[in-house]
Amino acid sequence: MPHLSVNPSSKPNCSTVWLISVLLGLLAVHTNANDVLTVPQQVSLSTNMDSQQLSISWLAGAATTFDLMILRTELNESVFYETVSVMVSQLSGRHEWNWTSVEPLQCTSLSIKVRSREGQSTSEWSNTEILQGSDLPSEEEWQMFPLDRVVPVGANTTFCCIVKEGEQFGTINYGNTVMNTTRLSRRSYATTVVNQGLSGSSGTNVICYNSFKELKIGAVVFVGYPPLLSDFVCETHDLTSAVCLWNERDTKLYGPTRGTRYTMNNRTFTLNLKKECRVDHWEGNWTLVVVNPLGQYSLTDSAELGHRVTAVAPENLISVAHATNATVLWQWKYDGYSSLALVCQVELTSQGYKTNHTFSGVGLRAVVLPDLYPYEDYNVQVRCGAQQNFWKWGSWSETMSFKSSSIVPEAPDMWVWMNKDYTGQVIWKPLTRRQSRGLMTGYEVTLWSPGESLQHTDILPPDTFAVPVNLTQMATASSDNMVMATVTAKNTEGVSLPASVLIPLRLTDADPCAVSQAVYTDSGFSLFWQSDVNTTCAYVVEWHNASCKWNCPVDWIKVAPGNTNVSIESANFQPGVRYNFSLYSSSSEATELLQRWQGYMQELVPSSPVLSLLTTQEDSDILLTWGHIPLISRRGFLLGYNIYISSGSQLTLLANLSDPGSRSYTVKGLSEGSYKFTVKAYTSAGEDTGATASIMLEPFTDWLILEILASLGVTALFLVIVTFLCYKKRKWVKKAFYPDIPEPKLPGDWSRSQAPLDVKPPHHSLVHMVERPEWDSSKEALVVIPEEDEDEDGQGIGDELVDTDEPTSLRYYNQVVDERPIRPRYPDSSDSSASSLDSARTDVTYTGIQTSGSSFVFQLDPQGSSEGHQPQADPSFCAGGGGGYRPQMQSRVPSDDTGSASPNSFPEPQAASGYKPQSSWQMDSPVDDREGRSRASSLGSPTSIASTQFLLPDGEDHTEEKRQPSSSAATWLTNLLSSTKP
Amino acid sequence: MAARRTRGMTGPDVSRSTVARAASIAEQLRYECSILLELYREKESFTADVLVDGRLVSVAPPSSQLDTRDKLWRLHSALMQCRSLLERAIAREEEELGGGKKGDYETQRKMVKDRLSYLLICTGELLKTAGGAALLTPSLEGLELDGPTALFELKLWVYRIFKEVDYWTKTAITTLEALPSVIAKERVRTSRVRTTRSTRR
Repeated sequence: MPHLSVNPSSKPNCSTVWLISVLLGLLAVHTNANDVLTVPQQVSLSTNMDSQQLSISWLAGAATTFDLMILRTELNESVFYETVSVMVSQLSGRHEWNWTSVEPLQCTSLSIKVRSREGQSTSEWSNTEILQGSDLPSEEEWQMFPLDRVVPVGANTTFCCIVKEGEQFGTINYGNTVMNTTRLSRRSYATTVVNQGLSGSSGTNVICYNSFKELKIGAVVFVGYPPLLSDFVCETHDLTSAVCLWNERDTKLYGPTRGTRYTMNNRTFTLNLKKECRVDHWEGNWTLVVVNPLGQYSLTDSAELGHRVTAVAPENLISVAHATNATVLWQWKYDGYSSLALVCQVELTSQGYKTNHTFSGVGLRAVVLPDLYPYEDYNVQVRCGAQQNFWKWGSWSETMSFKSSSIVPEAPDMWVWMNKDYTGQVIWKPLTRRQSRGLMTGYEVTLWSPGESLQHTDILPPDTFAVPVNLTQMATASSDNMVMATVTAKNTEGVSLPASVLIPLRLTDADPCAVSQAVYTDSGFSLFWQSDVNTTCAYVVEWHNASCKWNCPVDWIKVAPGNTNVSIESANFQPGVRYNFSLYSSSSEATELLQRWQGYMQELVPSSPVLSLLTTQEDSDILLTWGHIPLISRRGFLLGYNIYISSGSQLTLLANLSDPGSRSYTVKGLSEGSYKFTVKAYTSAGEDTGATASIMLEPFTDWLILEILASLGVTALFLVIVTFLCYKKRKWVKKAFYPDIPEPKLPGDWSRSQAPLDVKPPHHSLVHMVERPEWDSSKEALVVIPEEDEDEDGQGIGDELVDTDEPTSLRYYNQVVDERPIRPRYPDSSDSSASSLDSARTDVTYTGIQTSGSSFVFQLDPQGSSEGHQPQADPSFCAGGGGGYRPQMQSRVPSDDTGSASPNSFPEPQAASGYKPQSSWQMDSPVDDREGRSRASSLGSPTSIASTQFLLPDGEDHTEEKRQPSSSAATWLTNLLSSTKP
Repeated sequence: MAARRTRGMTGPDVSRSTVARAASIAEQLRYECSILLELYREKESFTADVLVDGRLVSVAPPSSQLDTRDKLWRLHSALMQCRSLLERAIAREEEELGGGKKGDYETQRKMVKDRLSYLLICTGELLKTAGGAALLTPSLEGLELDGPTALFELKLWVYRIFKEVDYWTKTAITTLEALPSVIAKERVRTSRVRTTRSTRR
């Protein structure tokens, strides 16, 4: 400190004094300034290498503000240069300031100096203090810092590698990552790892390689978490000591140096595998502190002993088992439990199902388990807790097994299926293990008639659940109306109570009640019925496949009295199968069928189409008929039928028959052609595939018949009209077509004999017919007929063979001939006759519509002529004729000509191979129509024997058959005309 | 060489089956060693070319002058040192670096240690056979069993021990494969006896 010196012997001068004063003032100011900004002295350094902290202290009087400068010594790089405020430590009297380095302090040497500051004024820098690094030339080997550092997750750490003298730096790797490096000094290189992640149990390696990528040095860093605890609680098991438990996170830091250290109430302990702390005495308050290199954590707990009792597991469980209950006994590990009020839970497991029973009591060590199933395996576990101030359940004991005793089995659930006769089967459901209550040995089935004491018993093995029965013998031998069927089950302990069903012996085919439809829902078939309030009987609902009729596999369920509904569910139900459900009353009387249902679990489309689909033409309509679909194929309730007509591959709906009983359908309004029809039955699920039938629709034949009949009718009408006109104009007709024929003059009396008069005329002789207009038609006439064989077959005719060289004998018949004269339009008739005679095969005929024989020489009975459709032939006359002329109405042999014979009795055209009567016209024959018309003109006219007008050609034989039916009409017409003769 | 011979070798009389079994175990050990080294390199992010200088096991240098017994003795001594080093390495590793979840590396490490013990039993039997009733007690004196304190140095030390085990396993294979000449003599002698017997028949 500067000191001022004053000389008292000097004589003061005013100006001098003033000058001196100014100088002194300036000096004082200058002296004062140098006095405050003291240069820091005795700068010293101390280090904490693990925390990389540098502590700097110095002496600087009362100064409080300093400039600090830290440089890397070798490269003279500034690391830190700041103005800081530092107070004097009361203990040491020095200024102290701490600085934490980013790099480990060993990485390189640091130079530190300090100066005081007062505003803008600063003192001189203190002497530079150097913190020696490990990169001094004296330390030649490879080095790396920091070593074995433990850092929290997310920290940033700088590592440095000091290269061996004479070698070259390569890289620094953090794990597998090559890091960026910074040169700190000639031999020192640093890298900073930021946001470090968790490392493994052996840490993460930081490796320094030389320029040849050779591993030279390394360090390990462990990245983990500080400790963190939760759920710290202390409890007691033995009612004396404390066991403290907690949860903690994995710090990922292990080993004696990095791992967590524990203290309980300031007592260090080593963690066991259960991670719990045992304290011999109940202290009531506990503090747990855990520490690791990254931090510490502590938790506390406090409680009374009675509030923290966690019971130990009961030991040495034993049981005393009966059929329906068992006693379970156990022991406690600690004597203190004998006076402790306990609540215990017993878990009973049987067939996979668990049930819990809770018991309580002081020092509880035995309980009775009720409601056990006989002959059942059980597993039991027990755990307990303090009944008062319950804390939590203790541990479960070890599992103990026992088996309950067996007793007689339950009565089996039985039912009876009866067929339509007296056969059937007694069936029962297999007893479950629990129902068996022991080892089953068999069943006993008894049928007995109560009134007649008839009894039949079957003993069956235990795997039998049905037995066929035949009650025919009992039905005949017993006067009772019912038989009782009884089933008992037997096991090793004895026989069950009997199960019985009364079987009525009055069998009837009639269904006593209507059948309803049962609807299937998610819960099964829901069945409802009316209940009689006075009825206390139970019910039995029975079901089976509806397609089964004989010894059906039936299932049933028993319904308690008073119920009026039940849902039937079975794993055996299948879609598309109809099931019959029957509700029976179950009482001491015989079972009675009360109601019936039918239902499907799921309706499907029919599996097969209708049977026997037929198509029939009815008039112009088509009738479709079909049969039913078998029940098993319906697979649903039939709702009706759809009738389709197919055109090509497309089906067109013709009709929908909503009546499932329909079996036919008539398709109308179709024209001729081929049709194909398909009939599809449908259920609620849809249609079946359909049955198809085809038909060719043909024209309606009845119309043809009607047309024919109409034509005939018109023809008949025409004939009637013509007949009528002819009748009205008969005189004119007679005059026009039947003029009187002159009667020939014959000597003698010819009228007595009607036998043929055989005349053998001389050759070329002719009978000359003298036409005399005045001839009376009532007189007899003689017709000359040349003799010939009429029948070439010689069938009963012509028994006299005639030599053609001989003159042809002429036969004369006293025939009924028309009295009218031969028509004059045939003047050459005689010639023709003569020529016919020459041929010896000429028949002489008349268009036999003559009603009177007056024109012949034989007088005929006019009455007979008018009535008869055949002439009154003399038998003697007929006998002489073998094969000559035949009357038109007598086409058969003359021997059959008995006068009473009807001309219709001989319609055999074969017999007349030559001559045909006119009456055999076929008016409807188109072939003969023209010819018929030509003949019509000669109808009823006498014809010359020489005329060929009515001589039928040989080829007409085959037309005889056609003409024959008309002969009756011609005869009728002839008679009609004849009857007109006065 | 840190070992002492308690009794002289009586001559080459080595069981063929024991040699074969020892060779088989050595082969298996070599394979397991390779896996262990691979797991360790993977675990510690070491490259395959990490150089570890110097041998940890000290035995007599190999020489063509050594007879079978000496070869077996040398091998047996080296393997015993390997086992001691390996046991120590495992202990140090568990102490300093263990504590976490055990994985494949720890399993393989134990397997190698156990296999090495089996091999030692076989070579001990061979050595007994070769030396008659000779009792060999290779000394572990002077063996550096503590290892370094720095954890990275400790890891390198463990790696060197694994490499040493691998090296001496391969040496064991080589040594045991060199023994068939002895076995061949036995075989020739045995076949001669059989031939003589069959001729008599």
